[in-house]
Amino acid sequence: MAGQGPSEPALFTELEVEFMAEDEPVNIIPNVRMDTLHMICGDYGPFRPQIPITVPLWLGIAMKKRSKCRIQPPGWMSVERLTEVLEMEREAPREFQPLPFHYVEIAKLLLDNAREDFENNYMVQSLLEDIKDVRWDKVEKGLKTLSGRTHAVKLKNLSAMEVNRMRTFTVRALQSFFKHDNDDMMKQTPTDSDSQSTPTSSDRLPRVCSQDFFTRSFDFTFYLCM
Amino acid sequence: MANYYDIQDILMQDETVSTVFLHKANGAGFLDPSSEDNNVARGSVVDLPLWLAQDLVQRQILHIKLPSCFNARHEQCRPNLPLILENVLRVRKEVQADPACVDLHSKCPFYYEMGCKLVELSVDPTLGPFLLTTLQGRYKDLLCKALTATLSGNLKFLPHLTEEETRLFEAGRDSVKAFKKWRLQGPRIEKAAILGRKRNRDATPIWS
Repeated sequence: MAGQGPSEPALFTELEVEFMAEDEPVNIIPNVRMDTLHMICGDYGPFRPQIPITVPLWLGIAMKKRSKCRIQPPGWMSVERLTEVLEMEREAPREFQPLPFHYVEIAKLLLDNAREDFENNYMVQSLLEDIKDVRWDKVEKGLKTLSGRTHAVKLKNLSAMEVNRMRTFTVRALQSFFKHDNDDMMKQTPTDSDSQSTPTSSDRLPRVCSQDFFTRSFDFTFYLCM
Repeated sequence: MANYYDIQDILMQDETVSTVFLHKANGAGFLDPSSEDNNVARGSVVDLPLWLAQDLVQRQILHIKLPSCFNARHEQCRPNLPLILENVLRVRKEVQADPACVDLHSKCPFYYEMGCKLVELSVDPTLGPFLLTTLQGRYKDLLCKALTATLSGNLKFLPHLTEEETRLFEAGRDSVKAFKKWRLQGPRIEKAAILGRKRNRDATPIWS
């Protein structure tokens, strides 16, 4: 993972997020007869021609590349369902519609590798692009409302790739605002110069008023309610 | 101590601030280039790096004058320096008028960090709220620019940002850039750079 310094928020690259998405299940229809595959992550199969079976996306794509199966498009990737989602996204300006957590990556992988298994692949692709743009627009609008005193951002139904895309910027912005908007920064004390004419012995001690400010840790949490 | 190893913090503490000595300092003449003997006289104005100034402030040896880039009302300003006074008043007024347009980098590259340090040393009570207003004013503009910046786009405003803002901008721009790259990428397995290189063979065969 790139950038894991103390001041750098942890960041996944897009390829890493895609890698995680490849564990999602997908239905395939094999066209070969094959025994059970024994993998570290589990056993898949046995494969019989024309009998649908659920496998992880990476296995489905690997078999598809060798023309050993057809991929059944998931239910949410049908034109009707996507049209419905797009309409609802446009109607609700502040909410995100429930879609699979890895919908961006799954859609890309399936459309890149199994394009011919979709009936309306152009339609599906353009609908997905529209949905993605509408959702990103909402994210941008939400980011614009950040200001002082924002300690957490609740983003229901936001997908993995969208979170990843906004993560560094949002975390940094929240950190900056937190640094500048707290009681230590806002207090209106009289300047020291007024009371410095007759310094007493206790005044001469080094002041550690800032210690509390630095040791107080604060976690910015993204609530991801799936 | 929280960011003891933070290079940005170290660089920030190297910025100089103008300070007024409240006591006579014997043997510290090397701090003040204008002193004739080896002492710094009481009331003399010396430019010190922030790391030194903040320790001395805590020991009540000197008093920090608010740097001009943060200032609105400069009490200590002598009447024989009208130009500086004018300059000083302008900065905060400029920021108040439209924070997004001000070139803060040229005034102080570590504007916010330095401001925070000065607030801790309670140099000016209005500084904390002022910094927040500045950040809020500049944030929205920064957000739009970071998320719409193209790969080779027009980056005229980039030199105007402070260090902290530049890092924020780059964070936003880089993640959007990486996402676009991922969407348009071709095959995932790429050839290692070393394989593409031509072998550097000796032209003359060994057996000749």
